[in-house]
Amino acid sequence: MIEFLQHSITGLMTGSLYALVAAGIVLVYKSTHVVSLAHGQLVAFGALFFWFFLGGLGLPFWAGLIPAFVLTALLGLAIERVALRPLIGQPLLAAFLMTFALFIALEGVFVLYLKGETRTLPHFLPQGNLHVAGISVPINQLIGFCVALLLFGLLSLIFKHTKLGLGMRATAEDHRLAQSTGIVVKTIFSYIWILSGIVAAVAGIATANVMDIYYMLPYIGINGLIVAICGGLDSLAGALIVGLLLGVVENVGAAYLDPLVGGGIKDVAGYAVLLLVLLIRPYGLFGLVKIERI
Amino acid sequence: MRPCGVFDKSYALDIAIIRTWQHWAVLISALVFLYLFPLFGSYYLISFINLLCISIIVVLGLQIVSGFCGQISFGQAAFMAVGAYTSSILTIRYGISFWLALPLSGIMAGAVGIIGGAPSLRIKGMYLAMATIAIHFVVIWVILHMEITGSFKGLYPMPPSIGGFEFDTDERMFYIIVSVVIIMTYAARNLMRSKVGRAFVAIRDNDLAGEVMGVNLYYYKLLAFFISCFYAGVAGSLWAHLITVVNAEQFTLLHALEYVGMLIIGGMGSIPGVFFGVLFIRILNELVMFTSPALAKALPWMGSSPAASLGLIAFGLAMAVFLIFEPRGLAHRWEIFKSSYRLYPFAH
Repeated sequence: MIEFLQHSITGLMTGSLYALVAAGIVLVYKSTHVVSLAHGQLVAFGALFFWFFLGGLGLPFWAGLIPAFVLTALLGLAIERVALRPLIGQPLLAAFLMTFALFIALEGVFVLYLKGETRTLPHFLPQGNLHVAGISVPINQLIGFCVALLLFGLLSLIFKHTKLGLGMRATAEDHRLAQSTGIVVKTIFSYIWILSGIVAAVAGIATANVMDIYYMLPYIGINGLIVAICGGLDSLAGALIVGLLLGVVENVGAAYLDPLVGGGIKDVAGYAVLLLVLLIRPYGLFGLVKIERI
Repeated sequence: MRPCGVFDKSYALDIAIIRTWQHWAVLISALVFLYLFPLFGSYYLISFINLLCISIIVVLGLQIVSGFCGQISFGQAAFMAVGAYTSSILTIRYGISFWLALPLSGIMAGAVGIIGGAPSLRIKGMYLAMATIAIHFVVIWVILHMEITGSFKGLYPMPPSIGGFEFDTDERMFYIIVSVVIIMTYAARNLMRSKVGRAFVAIRDNDLAGEVMGVNLYYYKLLAFFISCFYAGVAGSLWAHLITVVNAEQFTLLHALEYVGMLIIGGMGSIPGVFFGVLFIRILNELVMFTSPALAKALPWMGSSPAASLGLIAFGLAMAVFLIFEPRGLAHRWEIFKSSYRLYPFAH
């Protein structure tokens, strides 16, 4: 039992990372109806910028955090301005394919910068383990977990109670209707991408806190996509719950099934879950149910 | 549009793919040139064309399922892997000759593709694309965790042979690969004009309207996946016996993305577009390979071997440019060019 709990708690910690990555994807989808494949790259660049200021230049924590946020937000803005704005009015699939072109191009830039090396962040959070009733949790991961919960709370507050959030929700509903009520849709798009860049930076820093920055880091975006789709692309709560669940499923599955099949459950659990969810509830577990005949 | 002065006087002329004697002349001389090419072509060019042709077969399959039937699939690399492994296992373990293993691996990949295409019965568009990404990872995972596929070590298939004649060099494989490409292109071109092809296009343009007109969606969607994966499987088999090493590293998600990129640059819904797209990306890649050592010397911060990452950047940028400025791909430009020269001397 203790063992199971331990695996679940470790899974929750990983799951909070997935949820953080998925949050950015959900944000973009909520207002623009574009599913961003390139979000993993944004996350990786957030981590890389943070490393650059902290590990590369040796700045203190806060002095590194702010420029990392700003740079990632600028990258998000640049993606919107340069790549996605010309596609307004085109079919949504074109925008999806554009994010996939960005996925490849940014992947190239990322690999070019890393040159096959790994970068490790210096310890910027307290280290050590917290022991409660026989279960041990690394303190830095626990802090990451709390940050994820806080961020989700903050995002849902923004969406529910600020004028900007209302504008975003209106834009998600219908672009023309939103424009007729005086919301400038293009500005909302820019804000959304800036916000998603900041969320990506948080996710990137939280990820780099747990693992090294190396060429596979952008692929966490695919895990984020799995979570976002399973949660229902327009639901922040869904992203959080499914993210945590996926972390637990991966970890517990790996602990109990790996000896049976010879390892590697962690690599495939997410995809299996995605296929199941897509076949049973294509609109995700918590998403808005849109019935579409196929 | 018909060329000036060409009239369809009979039904046979109306449905002909190749309709003028100039067409025939160009086609036959191109084929003769292609088959004589190994006699005078350089080794580099021949191996380049071999890889080009294998990509063309894969992208032809992708064109059928994505371009004609409208089901975006990112799983093409995985289905190619299924074909490559099937062919290797059949020839190594069971001693079946390559000539039988080639279609069998296509059928095997097609069977896996039907399972992989099953989500298309419930979802479409971006959701289906994500499902095929998931299928890609599941297939590769299964391959890596099976005993018979040699797991992480991979397999070492033999080059094909016929009556003691070994196709063990790139020049010799060239004949097999080029012949398969010609057959597959002809098949795809004809299939798309048949009842099946029209059903695919109906599904792409409006699935509901298609169903009302009597297109069985389930049957035709799965058929599209089967045909597309059959192409991928055949390409995989050729690849396995050309390279004679098969491992999972050769079939990554990036490869699958690359095939979709070729399709977009070439133009969706056009058979010549496949050739343009593959040629464009492969030449772009070669250019990057060619220039990257000089670039690395001029810009030392890029490190010693920037070719792979520069290739990705160039590819991504090319795709972005095409999506913004010419979403219908090179094939559309080709159509414009064709109708303008057919109208000559009149203005287009």
